[in-house]
Amino acid sequence: MKRRLGVISAAMAGLLLAPAVGVAQETVKMGVSIPAATHGWTGGLNWHAQQAEKELEERYPTLDVVLVSASDAARQANDLEDLVSIHNIDALVILPFESAPLTDPVRQVKDQGKFVTVVDRGLTDPGIQDLYVAGNNPEMGQVSARYIEEKLGGEGKIVVLRGIPTVIDNQRVDAFMKEIEDSNIEVLGMEYANWNRDDGFRVMQDFLARFPEIDAVWAQDDDIALGVIEAVQQAGREDEMFILGGAGMKDIIRRVMDDDKLVPADVLYPPAMIAEAMEITARHLVEGEPIEKEYILEATLVTPENAEQYYYPDSPF
Amino acid sequence: MADPLLSAEGISRRFGPVQVLFGVDFDVRAGEVHALIGENGAGKSTLMKILAGYLEATEGTLRFAGRPYGAGGAEDLGIVLIHQEFNLAEHLTVEENVFLGRELRRGFLLDRRAMRERAHQVLGELECPVDPAARVRDLSVSERQMVEIAKAASRDLRVLIMDEPTAVLTKSESAVLFRLIRRLKDQGVAVVYISHKLDEVKEISDRVTVLRDGHLIATQSTGDLDQDAMAQLMVGRAISDMYPPKDPPPADAPVVLSVEGVTVPGWVRDASFDLRRGEILGFAGLVGAGRTELMEGILGLRRRTAGTISRDGARVRIRNVGDATAAGIAYLTEDRKGKGLLLGKPLRENLTLLALGRFGRVLIDERAEEAALERAVRDFDIRVRDPGVPAGALSGGNQQKLLLAKTMQVEPSIVIIDEPTRGIDVGTKRQIYLFLHDLARRGIAVVVISSEMAEIIGLAHRVVVMRSGTITGILEGAAIEENEIVRHATGLKGTDRNAVVSA
Amino acid sequence: MQSSAPDTARRPSAGLDLKVYGPFLALAALILLGVLVNPVFLSPGNIINVLTRTAFIGIIAVGMTFVITTGNIDLSVGSMAAFAAGVAIVAMNALAGPLGSGWAVVLAGVAVALAFSLAAGFLNGILVTKGRIEAFIVTLGTMGIFRSLVTYLADGGTLTLDSTIRATYRPVYYGGLFGISYPILLFFAVAAVGALIMYRTPFGRYCAAIGSNEDVARYSAIKVDRVKLLAFVFQGLCVALAVIVYVPRLGSASATTGLLWELEAIAAVIIGGTMLKGGHGRVWGTVAGAVILTLIDNILNLTGAISVYLNGAIQGVIIIVAVLLQRSGASRR
Repeated sequence: MKRRLGVISAAMAGLLLAPAVGVAQETVKMGVSIPAATHGWTGGLNWHAQQAEKELEERYPTLDVVLVSASDAARQANDLEDLVSIHNIDALVILPFESAPLTDPVRQVKDQGKFVTVVDRGLTDPGIQDLYVAGNNPEMGQVSARYIEEKLGGEGKIVVLRGIPTVIDNQRVDAFMKEIEDSNIEVLGMEYANWNRDDGFRVMQDFLARFPEIDAVWAQDDDIALGVIEAVQQAGREDEMFILGGAGMKDIIRRVMDDDKLVPADVLYPPAMIAEAMEITARHLVEGEPIEKEYILEATLVTPENAEQYYYPDSPF
Repeated sequence: MADPLLSAEGISRRFGPVQVLFGVDFDVRAGEVHALIGENGAGKSTLMKILAGYLEATEGTLRFAGRPYGAGGAEDLGIVLIHQEFNLAEHLTVEENVFLGRELRRGFLLDRRAMRERAHQVLGELECPVDPAARVRDLSVSERQMVEIAKAASRDLRVLIMDEPTAVLTKSESAVLFRLIRRLKDQGVAVVYISHKLDEVKEISDRVTVLRDGHLIATQSTGDLDQDAMAQLMVGRAISDMYPPKDPPPADAPVVLSVEGVTVPGWVRDASFDLRRGEILGFAGLVGAGRTELMEGILGLRRRTAGTISRDGARVRIRNVGDATAAGIAYLTEDRKGKGLLLGKPLRENLTLLALGRFGRVLIDERAEEAALERAVRDFDIRVRDPGVPAGALSGGNQQKLLLAKTMQVEPSIVIIDEPTRGIDVGTKRQIYLFLHDLARRGIAVVVISSEMAEIIGLAHRVVVMRSGTITGILEGAAIEENEIVRHATGLKGTDRNAVVSA
Repeated sequence: MQSSAPDTARRPSAGLDLKVYGPFLALAALILLGVLVNPVFLSPGNIINVLTRTAFIGIIAVGMTFVITTGNIDLSVGSMAAFAAGVAIVAMNALAGPLGSGWAVVLAGVAVALAFSLAAGFLNGILVTKGRIEAFIVTLGTMGIFRSLVTYLADGGTLTLDSTIRATYRPVYYGGLFGISYPILLFFAVAAVGALIMYRTPFGRYCAAIGSNEDVARYSAIKVDRVKLLAFVFQGLCVALAVIVYVPRLGSASATTGLLWELEAIAAVIIGGTMLKGGHGRVWGTVAGAVILTLIDNILNLTGAISVYLNGAIQGVIIIVAVLLQRSGASRR
């Protein structure tokens, strides 16, 4: 199983949880609810979840993993009801579509005495979860801003391509903007590209037409970045600027490894976090291993120096 | 004499630069039936729509009980127009239609029971045996008309305007309608009655107003006019020889179409007949006797479960209209607007639709189409100022001529024409009779389905009579007269075997 | 014979027919707006970009014009495109061994895209005509099927074309003749052929006849089922052509490829003056409609004046105004 154990830093927040009751011999059912594969990152998420399911069920014969994916928040809430009533799960690992609408459905699961692990997107009431595994969105914005600032020497013109209007996107962009506040970096334009290659291509084409001088592009996401790369190459302006994406997609990491001047770095926000969450939950349930209450994944900066250790050629993402 | 309930003075109406009404005066009294007649395009429909408030007059005043009213107020005054095409919601029930838009309520909820009772009562008063809970789509045409009238009668009906109400009715259904009109008349309702059928006008109306080319020609008491006089006023000259003299083919004329034992499930059982070259074969019967369905079965438009069809003695397979066309058989539907013409498309596209293959293989030869249209307009006397208008903008008569022209584009040797003159004025009717007569003389075999007895008698060389899906008799020569046909059509006479009756 | 009055019927409006020219007026207005917003708008680079981008939706919308004209609809085009692109990429990657990375393998990919799209269109058409199911339901179903098949094919991720094949294929999107990119040339070729078929062949006439009144069509010896089926197959062909120029752009296909293209294509058709209920198709109007849709986006990207949060609202307003413009002129009787 290919995971990025190296990026975990357990934030020592809160108590160590006591081992779960003596469950080792009985069958344990773990429900995993995640968004359907609608873009590259969620595609990676689904792949890693499936890999983890396979590996965990192999490792723990008494563990049964039920993996469901939903294409919107309402369906995900339905999934939760099914997991409890039909599958009678003992634990839930959920990556919520959106924070607010899913808080109450998850609370209901918790109220029925299930162990709840929340991944990536925090619920509005953090009291519900037993375990929280997440990437750090503000840090991702911050790290990206710091890198761009440094690389440009604190001065330059950039454009920003945003994701889909959500909390995640806001957290990243807000932190980014705060970080460059005091520098001489000017944000020429900012548009939504929906974490999508085609949209990234289209928006970047228009930015290129609109601004004769661009020093850097913060694409925030590797899917968007791939579209941006094509648009910049089409315009023949690859020597003028560099592009910073985010997530850790293998194509982008590969370019970083190969010292591509256009894509000198990437910031991690790995979909493999779902596998981490599943594994920690399983270990806790089956082996009764004590765990932390919160695991926050660092937004690691990937550069040609360390790229190789984050390159997973078999992953679809 | 009583004051008029509704009166119109000096009504003119223009559509753009075209004036269709020229200062027409018209009135109707309470308890009177006032017939409005004229050829197609004379302006009857426009006048009627103005009276009912569907259209504004360009000039002139409308008064109701002496007080002027505008287009918006007509419905509140109890002035109701019943269209040729009914204005009913097909999927709703009779009672829902009767109360459509002014449902009885109890609080926020519909008061279904009250509506059903009231609908029952209204229908009962009209002696109309329709179940209030039946869906309109399941009703016959005449029953739908009853529902329209019931809908009007259920509110405060003062003036009832009817546009060709009997065009789609059989004789007995018409008789029921007339009883109904008389009863409304007795209740003091003023009735404006538009029809092409002069015998009916003579029978039902008290006064007659004639329009021609948008001008008022005459308003006279019905008693002072006979049918010939009415027709003369309409066309501006005497009409003689409504039907051309019959010219039957020789007895040894070859049989071009032979239909043997055709069954159309639910409609027609075991029907057989022969059609000869140059013959006009009439199909008579009551509405619903299965005449249209038999023809549609032959044409492959309906499923047939048994029977064979032979052309010139050889069996042919006809599964759809394409096959029929290839076999030289053309069919003119009775449902001109629903199945015959694309009302939203220009004349040219309608004309060539059936025969499009003849106008270029890969690309359509639009020049050839234009030429064909010019020819058709001339040959069939289609009257239209601008050939670019959609077919729906033509009057009924001109639509029928266009449909004829469309059918003739494939140069058929057999023409089946269903209700050739429904809703058409006298002048155009005669043109169509002449045309059919001419077709037969040129050696084309013609089948005419008609519910107008006079038409069958006046045109056909032989008459097939149908009743409830079977052929009850085939009449020839002197046997082609009203009594004989009615007896076969109603089951008083005739067998399931196709006995040839001649006298 | 003589004398009933000639029919008083006339054309609805003899002067400027807004139903026909409306989309082009809206397009002109939008171009004017673009120039006012940012002079860069008229630069050849931007115009080529916009038209090239329009090509995918535009080509698909030409096919959609036929489907809608027959009174049907095809909701599956977006996922059909994704599916065809996915299958073509997989096929090209697999064939790279025996065929190398030259034009042979690209042609094989093109053939695969064509075969799959035509088959998909045929499937839609057969279900609608022989299965007697409403097109809306059939294509809603196949939309889901194609979409999840491509997701499955890509393991939820992205299918990426082998980079050496891509190098061969790339000019199909980025290259061109006389400064005009191939996608634009293909778009206009498809539109011109589409217009010819719609206006000058029996097939086009039959599509319109079926959409206006299926009974009349049947009574006029038109093989209704066959014409409808062909319309769906033609739609499949258009999807394939769009895919052929789409794949070399990013060299990838994923679950998000072609997302909502069906709605954009339908919108382009309606903005172009074709009635959603069928009966009348306007191919050049559709072209204008497709360009209008891309232009709105382009203009919004070229200005910083409007909050990005409002982009959707602006698009909605412009679409409605564009349609209102033609309908208000046509609805007077």
